[in-house]
Amino acid sequence: MTEDSLVDPLVTETAHRLFSEICDHESIQAAEARGQAPEIWNAFAETGFPWISIDEGAGGSGGSLLDALEVLRLVGYHAAPIPAAETGILGGWLLASSGQELPDGITTVVPNGGENATGSISGEEVLISGRALRVPWARIAERIVIPLAIEDQTVIASVDSAQCDIEPMTNMAGEPRDTVNFRNVRVPLALATPDVDLEAFRFRGALSRAALMAGAIEKMSQLTVSYTNDRVQFGRPVAKFQAVQQHLVWGAQDAALARMVAETAAREATRGAAQFEIAAAKLVANQAAARATKACHQAHGAMGMTQEYPLHHLSRRLWSWRKEYGGDAEWSKWLGQVAVSRGADQLYPLITGGSAALN
Amino acid sequence: MNDAFLISPESEHRGAGCPNVNDLTEEQIRAELDLILDRRNADTRLSTMGAGSDDLDAGRRYLANTVLGGWHVPTWPREHGGQDASVNQNSLIGRVLREFVVPDLYPFAIGLGMVGPALLEHGTNAQQTDWLKPIASGESIWCQMFSEPEAGSDLANVALSALQDGDEWILGGQKTWTSRAVWAQWAICLARTDAAQPKHKGLTMFAIPMSLAGVEVRPLMQMNRDAHFSEVFVDGARLSDQWRIGEVGEGWRVAMTVLAHERAGGGSRGGGDGNARGLKLPSWIADLQVLVGEQTGDWRNKVAALYARDAASRWTAQRASDEARSTGSPGPAGSGAKLRTVNSYKGRSYLANSTSGARGMLEDSHGYIETLTAPSMSIRGGTDEIQRNILGERVLGLPGEPRLDRDVPWNESRRGLI
Ligand SMILES: Cc1cc2nc3c(=O)[nH]c(=O)nc-3n(C[C@H](O)[C@H](O)[C@H](O)COP(=O)(O)OP(=O)(O)OC[C@H]3O[C@@H](n4cnc5c(N)ncnc54)[C@H](O)[C@@H]3O)c2cc1C
Repeated sequence: MTEDSLVDPLVTETAHRLFSEICDHESIQAAEARGQAPEIWNAFAETGFPWISIDEGAGGSGGSLLDALEVLRLVGYHAAPIPAAETGILGGWLLASSGQELPDGITTVVPNGGENATGSISGEEVLISGRALRVPWARIAERIVIPLAIEDQTVIASVDSAQCDIEPMTNMAGEPRDTVNFRNVRVPLALATPDVDLEAFRFRGALSRAALMAGAIEKMSQLTVSYTNDRVQFGRPVAKFQAVQQHLVWGAQDAALARMVAETAAREATRGAAQFEIAAAKLVANQAAARATKACHQAHGAMGMTQEYPLHHLSRRLWSWRKEYGGDAEWSKWLGQVAVSRGADQLYPLITGGSAALN
Repeated sequence: MNDAFLISPESEHRGAGCPNVNDLTEEQIRAELDLILDRRNADTRLSTMGAGSDDLDAGRRYLANTVLGGWHVPTWPREHGGQDASVNQNSLIGRVLREFVVPDLYPFAIGLGMVGPALLEHGTNAQQTDWLKPIASGESIWCQMFSEPEAGSDLANVALSALQDGDEWILGGQKTWTSRAVWAQWAICLARTDAAQPKHKGLTMFAIPMSLAGVEVRPLMQMNRDAHFSEVFVDGARLSDQWRIGEVGEGWRVAMTVLAHERAGGGSRGGGDGNARGLKLPSWIADLQVLVGEQTGDWRNKVAALYARDAASRWTAQRASDEARSTGSPGPAGSGAKLRTVNSYKGRSYLANSTSGARGMLEDSHGYIETLTAPSMSIRGGTDEIQRNILGERVLGLPGEPRLDRDVPWNESRRGLI
C-alpha cells in the first residue's frame, strides 16, 4: 500500500477529540434551533479541517482525499451540524479545479438533481438565474458554488451569497436546506479542468454522503448497545433479551457494512475513477441506514423518540442524507444499467474488478 | 379551523321513540348519518396521531353531534352515549361511518377506546354515569398514566404510590410519556398500593382529575416535534376513594383490560383511511400517485402489496375489536391486530417517503411527519416484541419467559437485578 491509501492517524485522533469536546447533545440541539453552530464551525475551521485534500497552492490544507473523507466520517459520527462536505471536498474542490479563490468562510454547493439554476455565458462573464432547491446551509455561506454544463464546457460559478435571495428551508434533521433564487447574477467565467464535470460532481457528492452515513450508523449502533445494556426491565438489562440482541446485531452489521463500502469507495476514488464503488457505496449506505435506524429505534423504546435523548440527531440525519446525491432507486438504476449494458459475460469481472473493469 | 361538524337541528332526531338502532338497515343508517355528517371525498385527509395539530374543536364538534344518535360508540348503553347496538350492527355502523368525514379523534382516543370499555367492565354505576357520557360527547379528554421511567415494557414495575388515608388516597411519584396529558381533564392511573406484595398484586387503578393539586404536567418534545406527550409529576395529591376503579389490589387486571382494548382498537373506527364506497382508491394511494414520477412495475408491486396488507390488517383489527366487544374482554387477538396495523402504517409511511424522492428530505414535505412518527408505532401501546411474547405464550402455548421476580415482594425485587 502506498502512503496515499492510508488515513493519517493524527487526522482521526484530532478530529475525534475536537468534536468530542465541542459537539455535544446540547450544542447540536441549539444549532437546530438557530440554524447554525458558529462555535463548532469556528473551532473546526481553525484547524484547517474543512480544506483537507485541496492543494495548499490553491488555498487548501493539503492532505489526501482519504483524510478528508475520514473527517467527514467523524462529522457524521458526532452529528456535527456544519457544512463540512460543502466547504471542502465539494465546493472547495470545484473552486480549486477552476482556479478560483477559496473563501476563508463557509462555501456551499448547489446539489445535483431537481429544479435548478441555469447559466449563460456572455463574454468573460456568466449570467446565473433561476432557483436552486435544497442548498445546504446557504443562509450562512459566504459563497454559493454552482457547477453548470454550458456548451460542452463545465463552468464553475462562484456567487457571493449576498447577491442571492435565500428562503430558509430545513431538512428532516433540522439542518438548513435552503431555496436560493438567482436574479441574473453576473460572475466571472471560470472553467473546470477536464476531469471535473457534472457527472464527477454527482459521484463526489454521493461519496461525501456515504462517508457521513458510515459515521452516523456506527455511532447509532454504539449508542444502542450501551443504552440497552443500561436499561433494565423485568429485572435485567434489555440487551439480555434475544429479540433485542437481534436489533443490536442489525445495527452493528450495518455499521460495519457502511464503513466498509465507504472506505473501499474512498480508496478507489484516491486512485482515479471510482464510479462503480461510489454508486455501490451510496446504495449500500442508504439501505444500511434504513435498516439500522429501524433496529436502533426499536431497541431504544420510547426514550429514542424524545428530543432530549440524542438518537434522533443521528437517525434524522441518516434519513435526509439517504435522499441526497441519489436515493436508492437512482443508484440501483445506475448500477443495473451498467451491468446490463456490459452483458452477462462481463458481470463477474465487473463485480470483482469494480471501476477498473469499466474502463 | 373548519366549520364542518356544526350541530344541525336535524341531529336532535334520535331522541326517545326512535326505532332501535339494531333494526336499521344499511341504507337507513346511511340516511341518518347523511343528516349530520359530510360524505368523505378524495380530498379528505387525516392528521397523524395528533402530531402537528392542536385542533380539538373538530373532534369535539363531531362527537357532540354523533353522541345524540350514539353513532360513535354504538355498543355502549343508551344512557351513556351509545345505542345498545349488537356487535354485528356495530360493525355495520363502523363500515358506513367510513364513508363520512370523521376528524382526527386522536385526542379523544383513550376515553373512547380504552377507558370507556374498561369502565363498562370494572367501573361502578356512579362512575359509569359520571364519566361515560362526557367521553362519548367529547366533553372530557382522558390520558393514560401507566408508564414510568422504570416501567415501560415491564409495566407491573410501576412505583407511583397511593397510600390510604381514611376515605382518601395520597399519591406520589412520576409517570412519563403520557400522551395527551396537556389536553386531558382526567387520567387513568396505575398506582402501587401495597409494596410488600409481588409486583402484579400490589397495584390499584385510579381516575385522577388532572387539575388536582399536586399533579404537574411537563411536556416532552418528540423528534416529530409533537409536544403532546409529557412527564407527569404527582406529589401528595389527595384523591377520593370514589375515584378508585376496581378493587384494591386488582389494578393489574384493570390495566390488562385497558391495554387489550388499546391493542384491539388500533385500526378501528375513524382512524383507518379505507377505500370508502364511491372512492376509487384510498387517499394514501391517491397521494402516492401525485408524488411518483414514473410508475415502475416495482413501485406498483409495492403499492399493491401494501394495499393488500392494509386491507388485511384493517379486517384483522376489526375482528379483534368485534371480539373484544362481544366478549366484553379482549384476548390476545388484539396483539395480532396491533402488530398488523403498525406494520401496515410503517409500510405506508416508508413507501410515501421513498416515493417522494429528494423532496422528501424537507421538513413539511408530504409524509414528513409520518416518517418521523413511524418508529414510535411499534413502541407505543406495547412494543412489537412484547406483542409477540404475548402471542407466543398465550396463543401458541410456548414456554413462558423466565419471570424471576413474579413471586417476590416488589420492594425486595426492586433492590437489584435478579
Ligand atoms: C409516542 C408514544 C406515546 C406513548 N404514550 C403513552 C401513554 O399515553 N401512556 C403511557 O402510559 N405510556 C405511553 N407510552 C409508553 C409506551 O407504553 C412504552 O414506550 C412501551 O411500553 C415500551 O416501554 P419503553 O419505552 O420503556 O421500552 P423498554 O421496555 O425499555 O424496551 C426497550 C426494548 O426492549 C425490548 N424488550 C423489553 N422487554 C422485552 C422482553 N421481555 N422481551 C423482548 N424484548 C423486550 C422492547 O421491545 C424494546 O425493543 C408512549 C410511548 C410512545 C413512544
